[in-house]
Amino acid sequence: MSNPRAIDLAQISKTYKTGSLEVPALQGVDLVVERGEYVAIMGPSGSGKSTLMNIIGCLDRATSGTYRLDGEDVSHLDDNALAAIRLRKLGFVFQGFNLLGRTDAANNVALPLFYAGINVRERRRRALAMLTEVGLAERAHHKPSELSGGQQQRVAIARALVNDPAVLLADEPTGNLDTKTSAELMRLFDDLHGGGRTIIMVTHDENVARYARRIVRLLDGRIVADQPVATSPSFTSF
Amino acid sequence: MMYFEEALRVLVANKLRTFLTTIGLIIGVFAVISIEVLGHSMAGSISETLGALADNSFVIFPGSFQGNFARAAMRLSDLSNIVATVPNVSTAVPLGGQRELVRYGHNVGRFTLSSDSNPPFANLPLAYGRYLSDDDIVDASDVAILSWRAYQRLFPGGGDPSGTSIYAGTHRYVVIGVLGQPRQGLLNVSFGGDISIPWTTYVREYVRGDRIFAARFTVRDASTIPETEVGVINRIRELRKVGKDVRYQTFDKGAFTGSVNGVFSAVTILVALIGAVSLVVAGIGVMNIMLVSITERTREIGTRKAIGARRGQILLQFFIEAALLSSFGCFVGMALGLITGAAINSIFIVKLTGYTAPPPYAQALTITLAFVAVVTLAFGSYPAYRAASLDPIEALRYE
Repeated sequence: MSNPRAIDLAQISKTYKTGSLEVPALQGVDLVVERGEYVAIMGPSGSGKSTLMNIIGCLDRATSGTYRLDGEDVSHLDDNALAAIRLRKLGFVFQGFNLLGRTDAANNVALPLFYAGINVRERRRRALAMLTEVGLAERAHHKPSELSGGQQQRVAIARALVNDPAVLLADEPTGNLDTKTSAELMRLFDDLHGGGRTIIMVTHDENVARYARRIVRLLDGRIVADQPVATSPSFTSF
Repeated sequence: MMYFEEALRVLVANKLRTFLTTIGLIIGVFAVISIEVLGHSMAGSISETLGALADNSFVIFPGSFQGNFARAAMRLSDLSNIVATVPNVSTAVPLGGQRELVRYGHNVGRFTLSSDSNPPFANLPLAYGRYLSDDDIVDASDVAILSWRAYQRLFPGGGDPSGTSIYAGTHRYVVIGVLGQPRQGLLNVSFGGDISIPWTTYVREYVRGDRIFAARFTVRDASTIPETEVGVINRIRELRKVGKDVRYQTFDKGAFTGSVNGVFSAVTILVALIGAVSLVVAGIGVMNIMLVSITERTREIGTRKAIGARRGQILLQFFIEAALLSSFGCFVGMALGLITGAAINSIFIVKLTGYTAPPPYAQALTITLAFVAVVTLAFGSYPAYRAASLDPIEALRYE
């Protein structure tokens, strides 16, 4: 496969078992995301968007169906193999930033490289390069508590991208940010998309979702709409 | 090593908690190490005392508290027979002491004159003069070697008394030497009497009849003293025509050292028990705080897992944190134990006995490392395993 798809989900179902009760969270989801796409996944609570996110993020396995990530079938991998996939191919951005509080920005960014077994000099070099890319080079040695929310989220984005993942997964990335900072962050996502990154963002905020180029809507575990965003995002819409 | 840096950061960030958690370990290791240091120097000072005993000899005497004590008594003539018949025995001399009023000029004291031979019973250094010679023994000369105690009493003015005459009762002896001051050990025992005279002289002057109380034997090969003792006792029974019911006792350096060591190994077992109890108590504290730490950092663990940390990497991180925590406690405890042990040692044992033992650094380090290893493995494994087993989705959702 010369140019594999970033994400290729075929007939993905997920059923949670609570005692004898079976709760279907996803029911036969088909979703293809090409490289370089910028997709927003939307849906109300209980629609299955978190489950879908967890499966795409290789944190969870589907009950049935096939999932190919960057051309690699990851449907049946064990926990450690999934960890290795997450390390090499995925970058996570969380609503709550999830930075290590005792560690400065550069070391936070370098964390995935540490788990990948890369030596300390190379870790530092790449972390600084990544912080420069998100515009925080001069904050490299500040701890998260010394950074604003927007800055913290940019550190988290640098951490997500430092291992050059196939897909950047963002789970409500603006959920903890004010509108102005959210707009700044979305401009950063725009830049990353412009640079060729594949971005998948889960959000329930229409204004945020409109920054993506394509919106996938979930309801009751099924995709009910999958449309490109018609107009280019307007930064004044907040 | 990033694991160490991170673990260190966690422990430093929670200074008070770290200290309180490790206080059990500090006290446990402190107690064990300080007792170890003291025991070490006590044992050293006792073996120093025992060092005054000759290595290649033993003493045999009839066991006390037996009805046939008279039948058991050895005869002077038995000794030459034993030397001739029992392998490994090179000499046999009667052993005995006679209390006499001893006088030099106006200085008088009551001292025990004891039989001795060449080489002497106690290998103390000479302060003046010489030891008994073979000629002194053969000729049964009227010569005497003074102990330091007797010398101080009879010659308060000091100086070399060699050649001067002293009187024990009415008998005149020529002083030929003075033994040096014995190192005072924790066991306040002295070997030999106050004044040593040739055993031949002793027999001539003080033994009435053929019976002797005890005898001292020297051997060619010191490594087989226990076997030789059995051989000698059997031979005595044959010569005295007595059965196994007549008991004889032996005294030798090896057996004495052995019984002293027995006391110390009992102390060591006691210390080990104290150590084991404090180890368990402290270990549970470490485990408890590790579990708290892991619960507090559930989201962090989830994040690490989402980023791609494998189970083993999470396990190692918390394992190293537990190891660092217990190392901190144990090494602080070791330092305090060494300092306290050395302080008590210099106040009591060194002042009392003049004996200075080098601190047992190697043992202290071994004990400390053993504590670290046991606490880390026994009480750090489970929390680390719990952390590594967390489900990343659940962990990320944890508030």
